[in-house]
Amino acid sequence: MLRLTSKRILQGIASREARSPAVQVLQRQYHERVIDHFNNPRNVGSFDKNDPDVGTGLVGAPACGDVMKLQIKVDESTGQIVDARFKTFGCGSAIASSSLATEWVKGKQMEEVLTIKNSDIAKHLSLPPVKLHCSMLAEDAIKAAVKDYEAKRGKPIEAKDA
Amino acid sequence: MLRQRLWTPLSSAVLRRALSSTIEFSAGAQSRSRFSPCSDNSRLFFLPSGRPDFLGKFQFSGKNFLSSQTALNLDAKCWNCNAAAEAALFLFCPSCRCIQPVDQSVDYFQIFGLEKKYNVEDDNLEGKYKNWQKKLHPDLVHSKSEKEREYAAEQSARVIDAYRTLSKPLSRAIYIMKLEGVNVDEEETISDFEFLTEMMEIREAVEEAADSQALNQIRSEMQEKVKNWSDLFANAFQNRNFGEAVKATRRMTYYERAIEEIVKKL
Repeated sequence: MLRLTSKRILQGIASREARSPAVQVLQRQYHERVIDHFNNPRNVGSFDKNDPDVGTGLVGAPACGDVMKLQIKVDESTGQIVDARFKTFGCGSAIASSSLATEWVKGKQMEEVLTIKNSDIAKHLSLPPVKLHCSMLAEDAIKAAVKDYEAKRGKPIEAKDA
Repeated sequence: MLRQRLWTPLSSAVLRRALSSTIEFSAGAQSRSRFSPCSDNSRLFFLPSGRPDFLGKFQFSGKNFLSSQTALNLDAKCWNCNAAAEAALFLFCPSCRCIQPVDQSVDYFQIFGLEKKYNVEDDNLEGKYKNWQKKLHPDLVHSKSEKEREYAAEQSARVIDAYRTLSKPLSRAIYIMKLEGVNVDEEETISDFEFLTEMMEIREAVEEAADSQALNQIRSEMQEKVKNWSDLFANAFQNRNFGEAVKATRRMTYYERAIEEIVKKL
């Protein structure tokens, strides 16, 4: 199911890029990490929104009409994020940013992930200036997911470095 | 691709027609000294040096065909002018056939002689656009001074920009907001949960659509939504409710994006 979703998404994007030579040129300029996340996205999928252990962050970028959903599954007793899933409709950079975000949040405390900055994501993926808002979107998605979880739990969480 | 089409060199017939009337004028400043200073009631200025550096609002003209209302302060009145004449004021002088420098205070609506409102109905936008290019296209001025060639390039590019912005509702909406000083900040993340959930579902439906019929079905739904939000925008904008107007443009962006994806898939 996960493979199907990612394959469908990739097909959609791959065929799009095949049609446009301009984008093919751009592809050569995408950093290999972005391409890697694009071809092998980690953690595509969904959790049940209504599961009490799940926090869902849903954000959008009005400039390009992108939608990004990032979900975290939290161990209640330890406050640690045990699993994460994402689903993004957008450009390669947006997909890579959210994919990376799910990788980074896994195994961390919720307070810790609130300190993940878009600049870290952008640097890791070598995003060009025009795509920086994609990393910002990913940072906002993480925060939204944590916020949703804490709203469900009814207790606020402060950002804290590990 | 669109850019290439719009920038095609003009046919030789057009060039000949455009250039024939310039034969008597030599390029450069000397020709301008032939014009006598304009008569009083037209309130036009005249620069012997031929430097059109005062924002292009003024015009070199020995002829007195311009009515006073089309002279200096045009903003309040240009809506009532004949489009060709008033546009000529800003961008191009019909008498000496010289292209003026870009006047940034002239907005896109003025270039096409349209009222500055969102719901402009113009059947002939393309026609006007082509007429402009017949006067402003850089190919017409390749033998003229470097300054004029520069003006031609800038004016021509601006007209292209204006045409593109005004011909699509969404870009028109964002532009008209910008004219009011409201910048639809597109970098800001939005988190309207319900709306984003809806968009997620729509995009998923597009991904999973089995055939072109299903896609076309979704597309017509999207187009209807764009139309609804477009009307809402017009309303909000007229009432100067800019918060609502921004929201409307954002919705329209998302629906348009979904339509784009559908078209790509089809």
